[in-house]
Amino acid sequence: MYYVAKVDSDKCADYKCNMCTLYCPEANTLMFDKENNTSWVDEDRCKGCALCVYVCTDLLDRSCITMEMAQAAGE
Amino acid sequence: MALDIYKINPEFRDIMPQEIIDLEEKATWSVKMEKARGIKELPQSKELLEEHSLCAGCPEAAALRYVLSALPVPEETVIVNSTGCTSLMFPHIALHTVHSLFGNQNAVASGIKRVLEWRFPDKQKDVVVLAGDGATVDIGLDYTLQSFFRQEKITTICFDNEVYANTGGQESGMTAKGQVFKMAPTGKKFEKVPMWELAKTSGCHYSVNLTASAPKQVAKVVREAILIAREIGPTYINLYTPCILEIGLSANEGLGEMKDQDKGRFEFYKHVSPEAEAYLAKCKEEGLL
Repeated sequence: MYYVAKVDSDKCADYKCNMCTLYCPEANTLMFDKENNTSWVDEDRCKGCALCVYVCTDLLDRSCITMEMAQAAGE
Repeated sequence: MALDIYKINPEFRDIMPQEIIDLEEKATWSVKMEKARGIKELPQSKELLEEHSLCAGCPEAAALRYVLSALPVPEETVIVNSTGCTSLMFPHIALHTVHSLFGNQNAVASGIKRVLEWRFPDKQKDVVVLAGDGATVDIGLDYTLQSFFRQEKITTICFDNEVYANTGGQESGMTAKGQVFKMAPTGKKFEKVPMWELAKTSGCHYSVNLTASAPKQVAKVVREAILIAREIGPTYINLYTPCILEIGLSANEGLGEMKDQDKGRFEFYKHVSPEAEAYLAKCKEEGLL
């Protein structure tokens, strides 16, 4: 088991800053949903580096992203 | 049309993985775009890079995303790469890539550019070299500088991680003085090679030294370098992408390291020759930038 990033959509929609999506080193992993104005994470692709948490919490002081234990399908 | 090679045969469409279908439909191919493509489309479109095998949190992977998003016409671009961490990513890129021998990348790119100019005189083909610091500055220094002397119209982008990272951490010409690595325990005894200044002296029309800490700036510099290489001459970008594994940082500390070096060894340096400056002003008027 390992940790993956999770976005708190309600908090994120207040800012819609898009910064985490640019800094994520993985392609098409942290994406932006234009309809709901929030970032979202493709958990199958997330390697759990927590760079997005550094950007969101340490640099921007917004704390919308947390690292959570990945759940296997059906759990 | 080069985009045709990315089109899926209708007979096989139903068995294709979703990623390949997305690549055809949602990737930001230049001919499908109304405006110039750029880094702003990155969060919503299919990227040209797919599930690469680099370490978690590797700044080089992030830098490659910016570089790919900044290519003006990806379907008409040929990327030449060399041995190193970068070469692990190239099988995952949806563009024409050529893997050269270690250090030969600028010589190979020169040949490709000349043949493309002869074969497709009415088309603008971009040739971009993406290689690490070992290939560009140590083993391939001869080929890199000679391509600048010959004024080949190619863009050279060096992912400078200051170490031979994927062979266990040997010191390279770009390693900073005093730096200790696992395979270089006594510390480096010489200064870092100022490759961006060598590039200027050798005849590059555009030479930049920067870190990958600001995505939009990286994309802007890459775009400018490729446009200048089309018309004026060789361009060089030295991009700091630290190896977090070899300098002993956690996966989420690469960005902080780059931000620190923005004020240190990688303070922003930019050289633009007068003719390149005039050309950039023209590009801006035409909306290419």
